[in-house]
Amino acid sequence: MAKQTSRRGFLRSSALGLGAGVTVLAAAGCNSGGTATGPSASKLNEVLKRGTVIVGTGSTNPPWHFEDENGNLQGFDIEMARLLAKGLFDDPAKVQFVRQASDARVPNLQTGQVDVVFQFMTVTAQRAQLVAFSIPYYREGVGTLLRRDSAHAGALDLAKAKKKVKVSILQNVYAESLVHAAIPQAEVMQFDSVANAVLALDAGRVEAAAIDDSTVRWLVRQSPDKYKYGNYGWSPQTYAAAVRQGDTVWLNFINTVLHESMTGVDFDAYASGFEKYFGVKLAPPPVGFPVEFGLRHT
Amino acid sequence: MDRAPLGNCPVMPLILAGLPLILQGLLVTVTISLAVLLLGTLLGIVGSLSLLYGANVLRWCVRIYVDVCRSIPHLVMIFAIFYGLPALGLQVPAIVAGILALGLFCGAHMSEIFRGGVESIPHGQMDAAKSIGLTFAQRLRQVIFPQALGRILPAWVNTAVEIVKSSSLVSLVSVVDLTMAIQQIVGRTREALLFYAVAAALYFAINFTLSITGRRLEKKFAHG
Amino acid sequence: MYQFNWRPVFDNFDLLLKGLGLAMAIALLSLAIGSLIGLAAAFGRTQGPHPLQWLTAAYVELVRNIPLLLIIYFVYFGLPLLGVSMFDNLWSFVLALALYAGAYLTEIFRAGIAGVEKGHIDAARSLGMTRLQVIRHVTLPLMARIVLPSLGNTLISLFKDTSVASAIAVPELTYGAIRINVNTWRVIEVYLVVAALYLATCYTIAGSLRWIERRWAIVQ
Repeated sequence: MAKQTSRRGFLRSSALGLGAGVTVLAAAGCNSGGTATGPSASKLNEVLKRGTVIVGTGSTNPPWHFEDENGNLQGFDIEMARLLAKGLFDDPAKVQFVRQASDARVPNLQTGQVDVVFQFMTVTAQRAQLVAFSIPYYREGVGTLLRRDSAHAGALDLAKAKKKVKVSILQNVYAESLVHAAIPQAEVMQFDSVANAVLALDAGRVEAAAIDDSTVRWLVRQSPDKYKYGNYGWSPQTYAAAVRQGDTVWLNFINTVLHESMTGVDFDAYASGFEKYFGVKLAPPPVGFPVEFGLRHT
Repeated sequence: MDRAPLGNCPVMPLILAGLPLILQGLLVTVTISLAVLLLGTLLGIVGSLSLLYGANVLRWCVRIYVDVCRSIPHLVMIFAIFYGLPALGLQVPAIVAGILALGLFCGAHMSEIFRGGVESIPHGQMDAAKSIGLTFAQRLRQVIFPQALGRILPAWVNTAVEIVKSSSLVSLVSVVDLTMAIQQIVGRTREALLFYAVAAALYFAINFTLSITGRRLEKKFAHG
Repeated sequence: MYQFNWRPVFDNFDLLLKGLGLAMAIALLSLAIGSLIGLAAAFGRTQGPHPLQWLTAAYVELVRNIPLLLIIYFVYFGLPLLGVSMFDNLWSFVLALALYAGAYLTEIFRAGIAGVEKGHIDAARSLGMTRLQVIRHVTLPLMARIVLPSLGNTLISLFKDTSVASAIAVPELTYGAIRINVNTWRVIEVYLVVAALYLATCYTIAGSLRWIERRWAIVQ
């Protein structure tokens, strides 16, 4: 009698223990947000269920994110956000934009206010400790904006000029070294705003304005009769989208969308945005060996 | 119309195209100026009372504050606050930094103006008021304030004009005021003469009105 | 807690001193040019034909009511777009500041002219001096003592106004502060030092002026 009871009791208690254990494990699995997330708990599912993706971006920096006359957001960051929406819902309009200042990019991700940030965000190791970056969707650098009638073709040309050239740049800590990296003999004139740095070029006060490569392309695109693109860019920096850390499913999804827009099925959408905002016609990626692994020449 | 076009004909559409940005900038300029004047007046009241009636230590502190503000350029103060506060951990928007910096200057000016206004009242008045038993607060409100006002108002208005002009310096820390707006439009359209004239006209309109008001007030109180 | 590090500032102290010297030079030059403008305008305003009086009054009212920065922008960015580009950034600023100073100096000199007792002028005229000779030998010398304090204050103001030259990259003191290779953490040190330099210079100028005034008073 005692043996039977104890065996049944043993089985019962083990079954209870096993059940409790499974429940605890399941609960732990569902609640762990800080480490590996299963597909059902990922932000991807949350977004798909919601029906719109919440994208953090800015509103005052052409050609990346700025407003048109009616206050609607446009720009290359906006294009990328719409690509993401198309990948999610087959509808580029299903985006809800949250306009945020640059210093809110990291906090808004960490607190979950936005699902993803497309805001000409430079990838740095310091930031990578706080957020997760996607693959790059643009390589920014410093470029030179020249007047259309300038005798020079770009930074390397200016470096060879006989007379000391004057170059305008936005005030910043590394202004002098940035310009001297490409044009060692330049006289650097720091201005408080890109508008004034470009105006100095217009007024003939400087030979070149050293500004963001993308801004150079944008200004040339807008006024090809006034400006030309300096043919040398330097000081590379990578722009990527950013998401909250710990959600590999969401990050992988965004990477897939970006990757296919630059090398695969959505290339046309990426290229049309690239031409619209940077004035550059991209050649489609060659067919055959995947270009991301480097072209092999026979 | 087949008349030969006047040199000015293409002006209106250009101005209209730039008008939204100009008005935005103008609003920012006016807002900053008003905020600075408010802050400065409040600081000036506290400062002048400290200089007139405060303990020695307080008077010394305000004296140093006023003298330092008189010797530093406005732009240096704006930069110091705009770059310095974040370095100390306080993130403030550029416009707030500008208002704080200019407000400090305005407060120093106002302290001197209010102090001068009160001190110019003959001592006999104060003695008479004391002798009929008015309290300090009553003396301040009923005897000093009305008489000092006449001497203070014109100087206050002149300071207001200076503040409106100095508000243009906040464009150098990326606040889109009237000056920054004009720069952006000139950059876009290259119509330098037209738009600098527009900006000058707008600043002139504000300040000239203030100056004229100041001069009228000066005349009104001159006999007082 | 903010960590003070004064090295970057003092390594570049020569830059700041050069900027200070340039600022002083600009202030003196603008005062000189502005005084020429102001004198001419003051005499034009008080003794010239009516159109000239109106013109100088308009100049004074206009310039005194618009920001210095706007004048600088017009001279530096606007003039070249209109075809006039002979001045570089330094001389553009000197010109702009001189124009700005001229308006204030006009009023100072007007007060000076008015302060010369009419008796002196009448006496000189009765001796047969022409108007120009009266101005040269009577009005100007007598004016000098009256306007000296105001000129001194104007110099101090102009010296402070040179900081706005940093907007068009003139290498004066404030631009030096901008240029020093500091990250935001050295901002406090830089601006404390720069503020101290402005303060010291303003007090020095004020002190020198008081000394000059006292000596002049003794001589007279």
